[in-house]
Amino acid sequence: MRVRRMMAFCLRWLAIFFVASLLVFGVVRLLPTGPAVHYLTGMNLPLTQENIESITKSMGLDKPLHQQYLTWVAKFLQGDWGTSLTSNLDIRTEFMAKMPYSLAISLGGISFGAVFAYGIGYCAAVHRGGFWDRGSRVLAVLTQAIPVFLIAIVVIHFFGVKLRIAKFFTGDSHLAIVASILIMACYKAAAWARVVRKAFREEMSKSYVRFSIARGFDKKKVLLFHSYRPVLCSLIAVMIADFASVFGGSTVLEFAFAIPGISYFLVSCMKHSDYTVLQSYILVVICWMFLVHLLFGLLLEVLDVRRRKGGLE
Amino acid sequence: MAKDRKKGKSGKIAFVFLLLYILFFAFAPHPKYIETDVLNTFSLPSSQHLLGTDHLGRDVYALLAAGAFRTLEVVFLATALSFLGGSFLGMLLGYFGGVWGSVIQFFADFVSVLPSFLAAMALSALFGFSPLMAGVVFGVGNMGEYINQAAVLTEGMKKQEFIDAQKVLGLGNFQIMLSHILPNIARQLFVFMGNKAAGMVSLYAGLAFIGLGTDITKPDWGTLLYQYRGYLTSYPLLVFWPTLCIVCLTLCFHLLFDASEEEEESTLYD
Repeated sequence: MRVRRMMAFCLRWLAIFFVASLLVFGVVRLLPTGPAVHYLTGMNLPLTQENIESITKSMGLDKPLHQQYLTWVAKFLQGDWGTSLTSNLDIRTEFMAKMPYSLAISLGGISFGAVFAYGIGYCAAVHRGGFWDRGSRVLAVLTQAIPVFLIAIVVIHFFGVKLRIAKFFTGDSHLAIVASILIMACYKAAAWARVVRKAFREEMSKSYVRFSIARGFDKKKVLLFHSYRPVLCSLIAVMIADFASVFGGSTVLEFAFAIPGISYFLVSCMKHSDYTVLQSYILVVICWMFLVHLLFGLLLEVLDVRRRKGGLE
Repeated sequence: MAKDRKKGKSGKIAFVFLLLYILFFAFAPHPKYIETDVLNTFSLPSSQHLLGTDHLGRDVYALLAAGAFRTLEVVFLATALSFLGGSFLGMLLGYFGGVWGSVIQFFADFVSVLPSFLAAMALSALFGFSPLMAGVVFGVGNMGEYINQAAVLTEGMKKQEFIDAQKVLGLGNFQIMLSHILPNIARQLFVFMGNKAAGMVSLYAGLAFIGLGTDITKPDWGTLLYQYRGYLTSYPLLVFWPTLCIVCLTLCFHLLFDASEEEEESTLYD
């Protein structure tokens, strides 16, 4: 049973990788101007017939499409991601140099957010209609209403321009990263706290909690020590779904704070239609999501007994 | 009962507010937003310029109005597409399952793995930025969650006895789906839609803020905020207006569909 599910999981991800790479490959071929023309304009070279032909040949664009696709994917898997059309730098080394920034923001934001969400959600569930309950609801609505970049602008202006206690754009970007992590953590915590609260309330109505409370155990302790597993499961389930949107959120933050992460790199490359960077970026995102699903899927197996026994299929 | 009435009331207020909001942008007289007036920059709100002018002397109100329609277009397109398409596909998945079901499930997995913000960014860089494209991409990107939601709800409904009774009576599958399952799950789907529609406004603003292929003749709230971000301390009103627009619109959507979170929850230990 377990082997079969592992197989299905791997097959699904292989299929996702395959479809995504096909899509990216197809979209680039649909561009109004071909890759060769893009390359020449990117390098500021004249668009003569000769130039276009020689580039087409050197890029291997004269070969049949399926062969081009296969060489591209094979090279990606071997670690040769090609060079950027605008800067001619090796994409993989660029990505590796910029990855730590992006990873710090998204992982930091998510893990702080999850911890905050768990705490706030717990407090909100214990006192229905209390301070934490109302506060977390207000926070959830506000974070939906106010775009994340607005907060970034306000933070930059308040701390950087008005108070002059932090320099966001000079020196290393440590402060900017800390600020982005905190902003993202607040946004994630606000949304997830409601999920945690709901999960705790659901557990409260179950018979094992009612029985424990009837026997004289403290409500808070019962919730904290006995019903953390199902709550963690629902928190992790929303976290997995949100990992994809983290890339969107971190793009805006990296852009607002000018942090040299891979999303900022992508945005600046996209301004010149540098599609080789885009191709690699999309595949990197798919690989990243695969890792996330694998890791959290295993975590859920450990936490959720029913799932492990295969009863939830 | 009293709570129900209160809920309906807040929804109605939000609806009226949303209508007023759209009318405010549609019918109040405003000058052309492209026209610049270098002698008259950063003017305060007056009878001539309802919300003042910006750093190029453009009328802020006219700019915001143009942005409002573009934003509403995106929200409408994306929500309609993902709600209708996602619910339909999800119901098919939940009701029939099978081979086509797994194809739908794969589609749902795929679109939820690929960040829609990223897809919109990439496509707008390659093919040019437009509300139509952003709307379609956000719509398709959000379909996955609707599909999963609708599938789970439909599966739950399908197990109930009255559906079996309908089958025994000889009703067709599609008739059962449309006239007996859909009305029962529509409410939950609408709530879900309200949450998503509210998020769409700031998602689009974020995309415009990054400003790929921005065209100064096509103002968006996000673009305006990007242009005005330097004037936060010197002319805070310029940043305030687009922010107000975004916040109001989001709150409208929120109130219109939401107010549902804690239905029938246990109050045993309060």
